Amino acid sequence: MTSTEAGALAPAPTQRKRPIGLLLVAVPVLLVLWLIIWPIISAVIQTLWLPTPDGGRTFSAESYEFFVSDPYSRANLAITLWTTGVCAVLLLVICLPIALYLRFSNSKIAAYVQGLAIFPMFVPSIILSFAFIRVLGPNGTVDLLLNSVGLPKIKSPYLTPWGPVIGLVWDNIPLTVLILLSGLGNVSNQAIEAARDVGAGRFALLWHIILPRISNSILVAISFAVLGIFSAFTLPYVLGPAAPEMMGPFMQRTFRDLFDPTNAITQAVITFGFCIVFGLFYVRSVAKNRTP
Amino acid sequence: MSTTAVKIRAPIDWTGIVFAVVLTLVIVAPLLVVGTWAFTNVWRFPSVIPQEFGLKFWYQTLARADVWSSITMSLTLATTVTVLSAVICLPAAYAFARLDFPGRDILFFSFLAGHAFPKFGLLVAIAGIFLQLNLIGTFWGVVLIQLVGTLLFMIWIPVAAFQSVDRKMEEAARDVGASPFRVFWSITLPQAGPTIAAAILLSFVGTFYETEGAWLIGAPQVRTLPVLMISFINNQPVIQYGAVLSVLLWVPSFIALLFARRVVNSGSFAKGFGA
Repeated sequence: MTSTEAGALAPAPTQRKRPIGLLLVAVPVLLVLWLIIWPIISAVIQTLWLPTPDGGRTFSAESYEFFVSDPYSRANLAITLWTTGVCAVLLLVICLPIALYLRFSNSKIAAYVQGLAIFPMFVPSIILSFAFIRVLGPNGTVDLLLNSVGLPKIKSPYLTPWGPVIGLVWDNIPLTVLILLSGLGNVSNQAIEAARDVGAGRFALLWHIILPRISNSILVAISFAVLGIFSAFTLPYVLGPAAPEMMGPFMQRTFRDLFDPTNAITQAVITFGFCIVFGLFYVRSVAKNRTP
Repeated sequence: MSTTAVKIRAPIDWTGIVFAVVLTLVIVAPLLVVGTWAFTNVWRFPSVIPQEFGLKFWYQTLARADVWSSITMSLTLATTVTVLSAVICLPAAYAFARLDFPGRDILFFSFLAGHAFPKFGLLVAIAGIFLQLNLIGTFWGVVLIQLVGTLLFMIWIPVAAFQSVDRKMEEAARDVGASPFRVFWSITLPQAGPTIAAAILLSFVGTFYETEGAWLIGAPQVRTLPVLMISFINNQPVIQYGAVLSVLLWVPSFIALLFARRVVNSGSFAKGFGA
């Protein structure tokens, strides 16, 4: 795997351009065109050129106007923005200390901590949801333990906006830690020691030496998390409140339960709009790593 | 003797201990609770430990027709998607690694397109297309949507594998008269094989757990194990059914964990995510 980073698309060895290569890559490329590029273009067209009663189509922003004027849609968008923001902040607050600890420690405990931080990657979110309900839900393990020492039950976050927040943060810890840790690999020990020699304290070290060097990694980690959380479906659907709901469950319900594809696709285009900056930045960072 | 025992003791790693304890409580403990529930016959509030352990609910869960049909459905789907993905992606990966053709770079990076958009929004846009094609609620609709999800890994990882093969060995074999197919079979494939196998395993496991596409496109006609699990969580009053299903559901992930840990811990893995 170490060769992955060593220039994925180094010039191909053959000198002449051989169109036979095009034939070999045709099927997956056509799939991307048909099932990613075309649906996105089609989604924009479909929601802006609405069908008219006489069978034609005419330009109209009606479905977007409906979204903006509908208080329920707006509440769903607001809860989605709130959840995404809270999760992004919590992820940084939780993962940055873990990553810093892992970067600068070489004790045996560090290996155990790293193993634990990566472990959620191997737990499907549906099992996580079930575990969440058993532990934090009504009469869950936390209630059992509190009750056994005579304390009152907790106010369960299950089916409140905090349910998806807890689940999504748990789910996103591994990749956030890995991305931040990879960024911290670029902070040289010499830079740290030099700063220590001139008397920099821990906080100054973090603020002036470490953070500026890993700012790009932080942005990548946030972009990745935002893309995943903004339209998350499973965790908000299972753990979140019925109303207002996050954009993922909202789109699913509009599409499958209300049989209203036009409004569902309008909601999808709106999520694209909110995430486009993060998406482009994220894809650019991935692409940059693949070319030498 | 006591004079020789001057050991330089490392200071106790308090930060590490705090992290280890907190993460164990937050990450391992909830899963242990689920594991305990799966082997519990009776556990009534407010007892801290179950009143009766046992396998009763394993027999009951495994006797359910919906559990077996969704296990079969999940395995069939994941196998179909993985085989199709390997058949179309591996030749493409070989072409990207070894051949030069017009538009090679832009086509290579086109597989990133899906990752610039929030996933569920993209699924809804695809579902809009499937609606016109009558693919909603069909097996092949779910196959297509999951197949798209495997393309990036199934092309990018094998490309790296093919590029890391020692070209000098291939040329030497060709010099002594081996046919191109023979060279591919005896030199290229054995060297690239382990990484390609890892990519295939990852795409199988990823497809097995894919919930959102299966739920949006397939439900209720196509019911995979994760989809059944959602309905257990929402509508099933017997807690143990969900717990047993969780343990069953975790098996492929456990296998992936055994094989993939080294890959995940290497720096190149995080780089693949743009770090």
